[in-house]
Amino acid sequence: MAENGEEKLLAMARHIARTLGHNDDTMADDILQIFSNFDGRFSRDKLTDLDDPRPSASLQLSINSLDRQISQYVASDHPIWADSADSSAFLDSVDELIATIREWTPLAAADKSVSTCLVRADELLQQSMFRLEDEFRSLMERGGQSFELSESTGNLSFDSDDDEDEGVIGNGENHHQIPVAQPISEYDIVIDALPSATINDLSEIAKRMVTAGFGKECSHVYSSCRREFLEESISRLGLQKLSIEEVHKMPWQEIEEQIERWVKATNLALRILFPSERRLCDRVFFGLSSAADLSFMEVCRGSSIQLLNFADAIAIGSRSPERLFKVLDLFETLRDLMPEFESVFSDQYCLVLRNEAVTIWKRLGEAIRGIFMELENLIRRDPAKAAVPGGGLHPITRYVMNYLRAACRSRQTLEQVFEKDSSSSLSVQMSWIMELLESNLEVKSKIYRDPALCSVFMINNGRYIVQKVNNSELGSLLGEDWIRKHNAKVRQYHSNYQRSSWNKILGILKVENSSSSAPNGAAARSMKEKLKLFNLSFDEICKTQTPWVIFDEQFREELKNSVIKILLPAYGNFIGKFQNIPEIGKHPDRLIKYVVEDVEARINELFQGNVAPAGGGRK
Amino acid sequence: MPATDCQGSSAAAFTNFGRSILSLRRDQVHSMDGAHPDSASSHELDLDSFQKNVADRISGLSSGPDEILSLSWVQKLLDLFVISQEEFRMILFNNKSQLHRAPMDRLIAEYFERSVKALDVCNAIRDGIEQMRQWQKLIEIVLIALDNQRTFCDGQFRRAKKALIDLAISMLDEKDSGSALSHRNRSFGRNTNNSTSRDSTHQRSLGHYRSLSWSVSRSWSAARQLQAIGNNLTAPKGNEVMATNGLAVVVFTMNSVLLFVMWALVAAIPCQDRGLQVHFYIPRQFHWAGPLLSLHEKILEESKKRDRKNACGLLREIYQIEKNARLMNELSDSVQFPLTEEKEAEVRQRVQELSKVCETMKAGLDPLERQVREVFHKIVRSRTEGLDNLGKGHGSD
Repeated sequence: MAENGEEKLLAMARHIARTLGHNDDTMADDILQIFSNFDGRFSRDKLTDLDDPRPSASLQLSINSLDRQISQYVASDHPIWADSADSSAFLDSVDELIATIREWTPLAAADKSVSTCLVRADELLQQSMFRLEDEFRSLMERGGQSFELSESTGNLSFDSDDDEDEGVIGNGENHHQIPVAQPISEYDIVIDALPSATINDLSEIAKRMVTAGFGKECSHVYSSCRREFLEESISRLGLQKLSIEEVHKMPWQEIEEQIERWVKATNLALRILFPSERRLCDRVFFGLSSAADLSFMEVCRGSSIQLLNFADAIAIGSRSPERLFKVLDLFETLRDLMPEFESVFSDQYCLVLRNEAVTIWKRLGEAIRGIFMELENLIRRDPAKAAVPGGGLHPITRYVMNYLRAACRSRQTLEQVFEKDSSSSLSVQMSWIMELLESNLEVKSKIYRDPALCSVFMINNGRYIVQKVNNSELGSLLGEDWIRKHNAKVRQYHSNYQRSSWNKILGILKVENSSSSAPNGAAARSMKEKLKLFNLSFDEICKTQTPWVIFDEQFREELKNSVIKILLPAYGNFIGKFQNIPEIGKHPDRLIKYVVEDVEARINELFQGNVAPAGGGRK
Repeated sequence: MPATDCQGSSAAAFTNFGRSILSLRRDQVHSMDGAHPDSASSHELDLDSFQKNVADRISGLSSGPDEILSLSWVQKLLDLFVISQEEFRMILFNNKSQLHRAPMDRLIAEYFERSVKALDVCNAIRDGIEQMRQWQKLIEIVLIALDNQRTFCDGQFRRAKKALIDLAISMLDEKDSGSALSHRNRSFGRNTNNSTSRDSTHQRSLGHYRSLSWSVSRSWSAARQLQAIGNNLTAPKGNEVMATNGLAVVVFTMNSVLLFVMWALVAAIPCQDRGLQVHFYIPRQFHWAGPLLSLHEKILEESKKRDRKNACGLLREIYQIEKNARLMNELSDSVQFPLTEEKEAEVRQRVQELSKVCETMKAGLDPLERQVREVFHKIVRSRTEGLDNLGKGHGSD
C-alpha cells in the first residue's frame, strides 16, 4: 500500500517535471532536484526517466548520477579528505565528470540538448573545483599544523642523529603556528614540511585542478601557503625586514648581530628550505612542470629578495674598515652558495633571482674594495699630531698591521675580490697600503726634533711592521724581497741612530796619535777636557735616552750591544791612555766618573721607557 | 674665487645670470685657466646641454604618444632618469678636480644622501610591481572563467567573481583592507548555497591576501621617504653657482629629476604608505622647471579625481583594472541565466577590456621591473664612483 502510493507519487513528480520542463532539460532537472531535496523518497534514481529517446539522454543520465555523487561531497560540512574512501570516491567522480565533458564537448555544437547538458556539467565542475580548492588549502594548512616529528610517516630524510642539530620541523610546541626549521649545522638534509600522505593528496587534487583549467587557482593557493611558511621561517631565524636606510642607521653592533643571523639564515634557506620547497613543489605538482616552476618561484621570491636586499644594503653602506670582516662573511656566504642558487633557481621563472644573487655578490666584492680604499684614505689622512713618547710604536702601525694580518686570514677571498684586473691584485694592494703607512710614519717621525729619536721611532715602527709581516700570509703576499728590503731599512734606521746619537761622543774619545809627542801638559789638559766632555755628553745621552723605547726586547739588546761594541773599546782605549799620562796626577781615577763596566751598565739601562710610563710603546 | 658680488638669495640672484652661466664662466675661466680654453668651452657645453636635454626629455614626457601615467609612460620616465643620470655622471667625471672643493663636496655628498634614500623607493616599487603581477594572475582567472568560446553559466560567473573579489581586496590600500575582508566574506557567501561550511574555511585563509607583503618593515613609508629626499632641496645660491663653475646647477637639476621621478613612481605604482605631499621649489628660470611643474600639476590633478582618490596607484592600467573589475563585479551580481543578448555583449565587452589590460601588464611589468632595478644599480654605481673620488680628495665622512 505504502509502496504503491510512493510509486504514484513518483510518477506524478516525473510528470510534473516533464511537463514543466517541456523543452528544457535544465529546468526539468531543477524540478527533479527540488523534489529530491524535498523528500528522500524522491531520490534522483527513482525520478529519472529511463526511457528518454534523445541522444543526450545517456549524457544526462551520467550527469545526474555524477551530480548526486558530487553534490553530497560538495555540500558536506566535513573535510572530504578526512576519510580516504570519501576522497577517492570524490576524485573518481570528478575524473568521470572531466572525462564526460571532454567526451561530449565535440558534439555540443551539433546538438542543443548536449550543449545544455554540458552547461550543467560545467556548473558541476566549477562546484567541484571550488571544493577541491578549499580541500587543497585546508590540507596545506592542516598538513603543516598537525605534522609532528613523532608521526613516523617515514619520509623525513634526516642524516643526522643528533636531535639538537636536526632540522626539527613542527615539533608541536607551538600549537597553531606554522612549523619551522630550526638553525642547524648539518645541511645535508631535506625537510618535508608536509606528511607524505598529504603530499600525495595534494598532488591528486592539483592534477584534477590543472586538468580542469583551474591550475592558476591551485598554484595561487599553494604559493600563498608556502610563502607564508617560508617568511615565517625566516623571521623565526631572527631576520627582520629592513629598508636600506634602516640598515644604514643601525648601530654597527646591531648590524653585526644581524649579519651573523643572516649568514645562518641564508645558508639554511639555500641549502635546506628552498630545496625542500622545490622538492615539495615538484611532488605536489608532479608531472606539471610549468605549474611547479611558477609556484616555486612565487613561494621563494619574497624570502630570497628579503635575504638579498639585506646583503645589498650592507654592500651599499658605510665603508668603514672595521666592517671588512663581516662584509667578508657576507661575500663568502653568497660565494659559497652560488652553486645552490644555480641549482635551486635553475628554471626560467627563477632566473631573475639567480641574477640578483650574482649582482649582489659582486657588489659585496666592490664593497670590500671600497673598504680598502677607505683604509688607504684613513692612513693617508691620519694627522701627525702628538708624538708618541719615547719614539715608541704608533697606534696606527699597530692598527694597520694587525688589521692587515687579520684580513689576510681571508687571503683567498681577498685575492678573488682583487683579482679582477691584475694591476690591482691583492699583493699590489697590500704593498700599496704598506707604502702609504710608511710614508705616513715618516711624516710623523718628523715631529721629533732629535734625529736620534726620530730614528728610534722609525726603528720601532719598521721593526713592528717587519715582525708582523714575517711568517704570515701578509708576508707571502708581499714577498721575500719586500721583507729583505724592509729589514735593510730598519738596519739603516739603526745606523742612523748610532750616527746621530753616538758619533759625536765617539769623536770626543778620539785620541790623536800625536798626543805623546805633544807637550805633556797640554795633552793632559786636553785629555781632562775630553773626559769631562765625555762624562757630560754621556750623562746627557743616558738621561735623554733612558725613557726612550725599543719595544722589541731582542732588538733592544741588539741595539745596546752594538752601542756597547763601538763605545766600550773606544772608551777603554781612551781611559787606558788617560791613566797612562803621568801629568794627570796621582789619582787619575778620581777624574774617571765611569769605569768601563759602568758605561756598559748605563747603556744597558737605556730604552727602558720606565721614566715615561705613559709612553705606551711597551706593553 | 671672486664671487662676493653675487651673494644673495638664490632665486633672485639666479635670475640675473641663470641664463648666462656660460658667459660668466667664460670670464672666470679666462682669468683662472686661460691655458685650456677648449676644454673650458666643452665644459660649458656639457652643463648647458645637460639642462637642455633634461628639459627636452621632461617635455617629451607630457607631449609624447604615451598617455600620462600609463605603463609605457612610466617606462619613459625611467628612461629619462637613467639617461640623465648617465650624463650627470659624465659631467662629474669630467670635473673630478672640482668635486673636492667646497661647496661642491657638500652638494655632491647631499646628492648621494638623497639618492640612497631613493634606493628604498626603488625596492618598494619593485614590491608594487610584484603585487600587480598578482593582480594580473587574478584577472587571468577571470578571463579563463569567462572565456569567449563558451556559453556563460552561473558557475563561471562564480569563479570569475571569486577572483574579482580577491582582486578588489588586494587592490585596496592596506588602511581599509580590514573592513574589506569582512565584505569579501559577505559577498562571497552570497552565491554559494553551501556557504555555511565554507565561510570558516575562508576566514582562515584570508591570511593569504596579506601574505604578499612588502619587503620593507611595516613602519616604512613611501610618503616619508619622498619627503626625506626632498628635504632642504633648494636651488643653488648665486655664489654657489659661481664657486662651482656652474656645477651646483647640474647637481640641483639631478636632485630635482631624482625627486620627481621617485615621486611619480610612488604616485603611479602601489607601495607601502603612499603619499604625494612633496613640494617642488624650482625657480622658473631653469629650462626644465616649466615642463616638470606642469607634469607635477597634471599628476596631482589626476590624484584628486573622485574615482582616483583612494586608488592604490595612479597607473592608467590600475585604473582600467579597477574600473572593469568593478563593472564586471556588478554585472556578475545582476546576471540572470540565460543571459540576455544585451547582458552577454556587456560581459564580452568587459572581458575584452580586461584582457587588453592584462596583455599590457603581461608585456610591460617585467621590463618595468628590470628598469627599476637598472635605476637602482645606476644610483649605486654613481654613488660608489663619487665616494671613491671624494675619498681620494679628502674627508669622505
